[in-house]
Amino acid sequence: MTRALSWFFSFVALGAVTLLVGVFVWQSLPVWHHEGWHYITGTKWFFRQKEFGTLPMIYGTVIVALIALVLAAPLGFGAAIFTAEYLPRRVRLAVKVLIELLAGVPSVVYGLLGILLLRDWIYNLFEKFEPLSGDTLLTAGVLLAVMILPTIVTLSDDALRGVSSAQRRAARGLGLTHAETVLSIALPQAKRGLGAALLLALGRALGETIAVFLVVGRQDNNLPEHVFSLRAWLDAGQTITSKLGGSETNIAYGDHVHWGAMVGLALLLLIMTGTVTLLGTGFGKRSDA
Amino acid sequence: MKILPSLLALLVVTPTLFAETLKINGSTTVNLPAAEAAEILRVEQKMDIQIDTQGGSSGGISMLGDGLIQIGMASKPVSDDDRAKFPKVKFDEIHVGQDAVAIIVSKDVWDSGVHALTKQQIQEIYESKITNWKDVGAKKSIRIAFFNKEPGRGTWEVFAHWVYGDPKKAPQVSFPEVGGNEETRNKVSSTRGALSQLSSSWADGKKVFALGIKGDDGKVVDPTNENIANKSYPLSRPLFLLTNGEPTGAARTFVDFMLSDRGQELVKKHGYMRLKDLGK
Repeated sequence: MTRALSWFFSFVALGAVTLLVGVFVWQSLPVWHHEGWHYITGTKWFFRQKEFGTLPMIYGTVIVALIALVLAAPLGFGAAIFTAEYLPRRVRLAVKVLIELLAGVPSVVYGLLGILLLRDWIYNLFEKFEPLSGDTLLTAGVLLAVMILPTIVTLSDDALRGVSSAQRRAARGLGLTHAETVLSIALPQAKRGLGAALLLALGRALGETIAVFLVVGRQDNNLPEHVFSLRAWLDAGQTITSKLGGSETNIAYGDHVHWGAMVGLALLLLIMTGTVTLLGTGFGKRSDA
Repeated sequence: MKILPSLLALLVVTPTLFAETLKINGSTTVNLPAAEAAEILRVEQKMDIQIDTQGGSSGGISMLGDGLIQIGMASKPVSDDDRAKFPKVKFDEIHVGQDAVAIIVSKDVWDSGVHALTKQQIQEIYESKITNWKDVGAKKSIRIAFFNKEPGRGTWEVFAHWVYGDPKKAPQVSFPEVGGNEETRNKVSSTRGALSQLSSSWADGKKVFALGIKGDDGKVVDPTNENIANKSYPLSRPLFLLTNGEPTGAARTFVDFMLSDRGQELVKKHGYMRLKDLGK
């Protein structure tokens, strides 16, 4: 009975996902028909001229998430090593609860903090490079870094605690210092779990909407010549989520191709976050074996 | 694509099974105070009101024309074309407020001496032909940081209508975009060289400054209540509730509430001008 039920619920979940993807594919068909592959490789999005190229938005999404990851990963790993390896058990749990609380703060709250503090900070800090305003890809990236930090810390902490303490004792018995034990025993053994923490955090960063929406500037068609040019990060940009969160969805409704283009964006995002999340879960799983 | 409209139709049709549901639809601009009024009437008078913004002003007009709703909301007058499309419907426009759009700038721009722009200059800024405040009379060189109001917002429509005659004729541009009034004011006030479009009642003259519009004769018209009321300030539009003939029953109650002092306070709260401000 339990078995039948669990099969049933698994199928419901699977069916829901399939249906979701199916609806997105079906609803976005007009734009694929209209643009073809140009929908992904095109660099111009002008809906009144019926031009739908999403590359600048894909660029924005990826760059913002990468900035966040690069900033949050060292901090997150460092904090996790501290909580997992150095803090006494009781204190560790208290700290962990606090960090997990941070992960639960609604993203609009982070977004408002971003507007209040981060925008002006970035705007003034990089004044020499003459950003046009405080709404930049970098601002969104830094804000996202703060938001994904708790995810990285708590998952990495779990991964480190997953390393058996017998190994640590053996290392100490062989005369390794505490720091050496962490660096050459705990970290290497937990590396799959740490990788999974990064990938799951990346998944969250890619899909974050409202906080990014408030600080990224929402400027269409901003694709720099050099993708990794740091100066370009100080320009406003558009991510897939900030586009979908804007009022254009209301305009698109009723126009087959335009609506298809918006749904297509959702499909692209779903594919991106889905891939990263699947990789992350798969990555973490194998570490138990 | 077919499924969504039929689902929506279902949502609209189902409540007709119950008597006395007041259905309202149309412009998002008018919706702000109207939705709040509906909320008050629901609680205080136990009225059953459904309010929605499918299709904006045009949606309000056509759904009233089709008899799907009792009150339409529109931020533009009903055109002769609309009246011709629904010959049996006697559109009654009830003026409940006025929305004026100010062209606002940050303090440094104001202090550098730019207090007014011509329509031509605004158009060239919109098309990125002018990118420095110095070219429009500033004492020093400041880059123009233009925050475009999201297309689809009422404020943007008024702006585009004024500059290009028809929002559909406005060229497509890529500027950073802003949405709500609070966001616009915040971002403009904290950015050097900033420019944006904003509902005039939000231009406080402390953090952000409303530019005047310089006419062909060189005369500057500021967005003051008086200039908006006598229509010499060009960027404004009326907010209407639409009914088919004189409103009766629940629709009458709703219209009367919007015209009452409390209803008018809601109009003001959402950044529009009350009828009283217009001298009516």
